[in-house]
Amino acid sequence: MNGYAGKILSIDLSSRRVATIPTETYQQWGGGHGMGSALFFDKVKDKTVDGFHPDNTMTLMTSPLCGTLVPSGAGRTEIQGIGVQSLPIGWFTRSNFGGRFSSMLKYAGWDGIAIQGQADSRVWIDIRNQDVRIRECHDLELWGTDTWECQKRIWKHVAGNGVYGDWIRVNQNGDKTTQRPAVLAIGPAGENLSRMACLIHDAGNGAGQGGFGAVFGKKGLKAISVIGTGSIKVNNPQALMRSRLWLKDNYQFSLENLKIKNFVIGFQSPPVPMALYRFGRPRVGQRPQACVGCTAGCRGRYEDGVGNESICFNSLFYYLGRTHLIQRQAADLINRYGLNAAEMFTGELYLKTLHDLGVAGKGRDIDCPLDFTRYGELSYAEQLVKAISYRSDGMGNPHPFGDVLAEGFVRAADKWGRLKGENSDLKTGLLKFPHWGLPRHKLERSQLDWGYGTMLSDRDINEHCFDTLRAFPTYFKRTGEELPPSEAVVKTITDKMEPFQGDLKMLDFSTDNMYSDHIIKLVSWHRYYTRFWKQSAQLCDFRWPDFLNLYGPEQAGAAGIAEQRFFNDVTGKNFSFLDGINLGKKIWNLDNVIWALQGRHRDMVRFADYVYTRPGTTHTGFPEYMPGIKDGKWDYVVTSGRHFDSDRFEDFKTRFYRFQGWDEKTGCPTRQTLESLGLGFAADALEKGGKYKNA
Amino acid sequence: MDIPIKLQIAEKHKLTRRTFLKYSGTIVFVMGTHLYLPGQCSAAGQGEGIPRSDGYLVVDVKKCQGCVSCMLACSLVHEGASGLSVSRIQILQDSFGKFPDDLTIEQCRQCESPACVKACPENALTADSEFGHVRMVDKEACTGCGSCFEACPFTPERLSVMADEAFKKALKSRKCDLCANAPYHWDAAGGGPGGKQACVEVCPVGAIAFTSELPVQEGTSGYKVNLREINWSNLGYGR
Repeated sequence: MNGYAGKILSIDLSSRRVATIPTETYQQWGGGHGMGSALFFDKVKDKTVDGFHPDNTMTLMTSPLCGTLVPSGAGRTEIQGIGVQSLPIGWFTRSNFGGRFSSMLKYAGWDGIAIQGQADSRVWIDIRNQDVRIRECHDLELWGTDTWECQKRIWKHVAGNGVYGDWIRVNQNGDKTTQRPAVLAIGPAGENLSRMACLIHDAGNGAGQGGFGAVFGKKGLKAISVIGTGSIKVNNPQALMRSRLWLKDNYQFSLENLKIKNFVIGFQSPPVPMALYRFGRPRVGQRPQACVGCTAGCRGRYEDGVGNESICFNSLFYYLGRTHLIQRQAADLINRYGLNAAEMFTGELYLKTLHDLGVAGKGRDIDCPLDFTRYGELSYAEQLVKAISYRSDGMGNPHPFGDVLAEGFVRAADKWGRLKGENSDLKTGLLKFPHWGLPRHKLERSQLDWGYGTMLSDRDINEHCFDTLRAFPTYFKRTGEELPPSEAVVKTITDKMEPFQGDLKMLDFSTDNMYSDHIIKLVSWHRYYTRFWKQSAQLCDFRWPDFLNLYGPEQAGAAGIAEQRFFNDVTGKNFSFLDGINLGKKIWNLDNVIWALQGRHRDMVRFADYVYTRPGTTHTGFPEYMPGIKDGKWDYVVTSGRHFDSDRFEDFKTRFYRFQGWDEKTGCPTRQTLESLGLGFAADALEKGGKYKNA
Repeated sequence: MDIPIKLQIAEKHKLTRRTFLKYSGTIVFVMGTHLYLPGQCSAAGQGEGIPRSDGYLVVDVKKCQGCVSCMLACSLVHEGASGLSVSRIQILQDSFGKFPDDLTIEQCRQCESPACVKACPENALTADSEFGHVRMVDKEACTGCGSCFEACPFTPERLSVMADEAFKKALKSRKCDLCANAPYHWDAAGGGPGGKQACVEVCPVGAIAFTSELPVQEGTSGYKVNLREINWSNLGYGR
């Protein structure tokens, strides 16, 4: 059991019973997502329950690598359960956050937490090594606080008479640490059950997707705090240290030989905050800030303390805020109130458009209390955030606007009558929520791995494995810089995509190839790789897989070599890269069984209407470029500006299901396939649920 | 006094002359909110017969990215397991704090006049010439009484006394030995002042360095230094 703490914490909030599950029971799933899916499958007998139902079980899982020296693989936590954000069904879904929660949980002696039930009062969970308490919120007046204040109050409570900066005794045994507890909290948005509510840890680590903040809120759970003073045993400490230094010497950025100055995906990236504010990276004193064990921090902490650890969608949220400072303060707002930044970013722009069209505003068709004369000022963003978080007018008064919007932008648009007829905002593309009622991330018609991956699963996949293939060509075409030959780039990557290596056309993003069997292999590999190596082993999405690397031999990264090396150093297993892909396939199938039990049918797997009729355009207005074959030769081709063809996507789905070994008519995994993967129990559940009746 | 420290740092990191020139700048004095007062520091002064250590760790708290890889590596090579409480170097940070006071690094200073060595009633804490006079614990002799912890004049104390799995969970003191006696050291040549220190080697940003020159004992300026090279500035960070 090297790498594992050995136990999973099981908490029933209804009965307030705390129990343990031996990790060994679920060890075959590796960790993280695999364990979470299996645990959920066992614990939730009726998969059709709503996300707000007490029987919904949330899992927060670590991996054997968490808390160890594995580079950029020690600090993630995988969250699963039935979500409340997606449409038409709140899918069994996942979210994930970085920081130090998972490592602290391991040091406390736990590989994960499963939470079910619903408390009859508002509570928080206090974990100090093996001592686990369900505590009342009223003692610390936690309910009603924002996510930051909540954490600070818990920090102070756990320290007791101690002072941070010194050793703190965390329990009666005298166990000591200098560290603050790792706390995962909801803000007012979660307390008031907004379907956009997220979970926040430290300043800016957010588990944004799924609406899990609202699931916490419904369960009466304000926060989970964990402090651990133990250690995680590693199978071969010397080998792990040598592997870490091998990666540092051969693939990691070097300050003595700096080849890139900006944030990029992979280990070649230097530590630079991935801040996407309209005015760029904050220009105040700062440091990079990293999750536990990372080679290169992707967040920053600033001398004015504003925007600490906010990156990506957080920094994008108030894109039209008038000043840099306002945008940074707005990023803090959604962290403090606990709102999903991705939906807030896309939704905020939609709302502004509705106002500009004369639809939304005081006394208009959509009675919106927001003061648009203050658009661009912080007060506007604050009113919007408060309106959603408190289901109000954002000024302290009950108002249907906030109440409706708290349900999410697509549900709100439906309520406002914006989704009817041929002028539906999901037909015109005014409402850029292309899949499952969730906001757009990458341009799905351009970056096919992302678009198909999202539509064929349950959420915006938010997996950047192939993002470099769009980011670099698109940027370099604009700047006029020379690009490496696309065929060589594609070969370097596809050589690592075991077991499909050698098929270069998996990365041909040209329009002629966008429905091909090669792209089916790309999407499949992506699903399998991420399900295990990213979401179960919990290697960070920003650094893994390390495909292309200016420091690597022939500019090839560590992917395909490093994953299993680190996994085996820690666990002592003889686990191959392909073993990980195959286990990922098994986990992917189990997830699909759960979705089928929830009611998924292939007919639901359909993009929003505008994706089939409107050309995909980028936020910047510049075209996107990706590798592709043009006139018989490899090149970089324009991939934006096109749309999907409905019939061809349906055919693509049929062949995708065939490739998975699933029923082509329903999209449901077949018994034969499931049994071949050792998932006969899942086939039994499908049969019992009547899912094989018409097959 | 400054020049030899800088030379050692430069040599350790094999810096180019151009990069090295930046070290001729002022060593930064970094004062955290919880640091010790000079008047309470018993570390300064003569060693009273205890020879100086052949090596020291110096750190740059403005450069640290808070990944705690140093702590994970330290515990790994000493304990065969990764954890934070057993790490001999401690990174303390506040996610909501303001740079640079959001984070500090507290490492053992290998004091010239080591209160911990003098306080040990079992002579289990020594400065052995075999290990470059690093102040280190002989766990066989250590009774876990905690005298060394109590004697350490710094906050937080640079030692910890915790149960040790290798000794049937008996309390044992732990402190930085510059990896001189790290049972799980990865390099055949080992650690100590003449070898490799896990925290120095693993730090992704070079925020920890080794020096054989005795740092200024009073205050923190000798131990908290500026390790920021020109490329750190090129990444948009201050020097």
